[in-house]
Amino acid sequence: MFPKLDPLLHSELRLAVMSILAGVDEADFTYLKKQTGATSGNLSVQIDKLTAADYITVEKGFKGKMPRTTCKITPTGQEAFSHYVESLKEYLSAGK
Amino acid sequence: MEQNKEMTASESLQLITETLNNSRKDILRSNAKYYMIWGVLLTCFSLAIYLLWKSTGHAYWNLLWFAMPLVGFPLAKWIGSKEDAVRSENVISRITRGIWLTFCIFSCSVALFSILYSFINTSPIGAIAVGTSLSGQIILLFGMAETITGVALKNWIIKNAGVVTGIGGLALYYGIGLYEEQMLLFTFAGIVLFITGILVKRQNR
Repeated sequence: MFPKLDPLLHSELRLAVMSILAGVDEADFTYLKKQTGATSGNLSVQIDKLTAADYITVEKGFKGKMPRTTCKITPTGQEAFSHYVESLKEYLSAGK
Repeated sequence: MEQNKEMTASESLQLITETLNNSRKDILRSNAKYYMIWGVLLTCFSLAIYLLWKSTGHAYWNLLWFAMPLVGFPLAKWIGSKEDAVRSENVISRITRGIWLTFCIFSCSVALFSILYSFINTSPIGAIAVGTSLSGQIILLFGMAETITGVALKNWIIKNAGVVTGIGGLALYYGIGLYEEQMLLFTFAGIVLFITGILVKRQNR
């Protein structure tokens, strides 16, 4: 019996955001947008979904006079991401 | 990137791997920029000290080395602050920063001890011995720091550049003169560092 893949992470953009955030302390919105190639609106929606699930936290502040939105993965998000990767490995090893 | 695209397990894993690779490339690109800055500074400072020492005959011009971090750190910070998209540190960038900070502390300590010893020691031969061994020690430390950075970043260009600087620099050190000629070792290290920056930047476009 395979573990069920987390539907929240099994989406291209959300998974990309989580993969980036899993490797850094924090990243700002502009960086996520640049790395994923997503539009601002699309990215905002997916970030909101991840925030609602407590997978990431979002902080709004300023860098100089410019507004800056910073995203950070939470321990819950880190655990969900690790679990997701483990599940993927199980799926792939079973398929061989 | 589409938000709700259905992915297979292998596509998901591929996406994660690609993201991690992009993150590594991003760190390498960022490092390349700093290699170029410090490479230019090292080349300019070493050549300036070499020329001043040669024309005046005074080794005191070596004190100018302490001005290099005073120029380099604010310049690096200013260039870093100009980036619009900000990724904070991760384990690799923290390790890289730690390696170069350690190099900075160790090489400054070696230099300070050497200066202190040259004041205490009345024998000119002893002072020369300490002064000349200093260049060899610093070039080795420099090469080691660069090689370890290459290992941490899994980048063969940086690894090899470190070996060329450390071992090549040491070979030059034994063949070069005892006085101002020693500064040319650092010119060599600066040029290698600058070229490394260009190659790493090209490699990770």
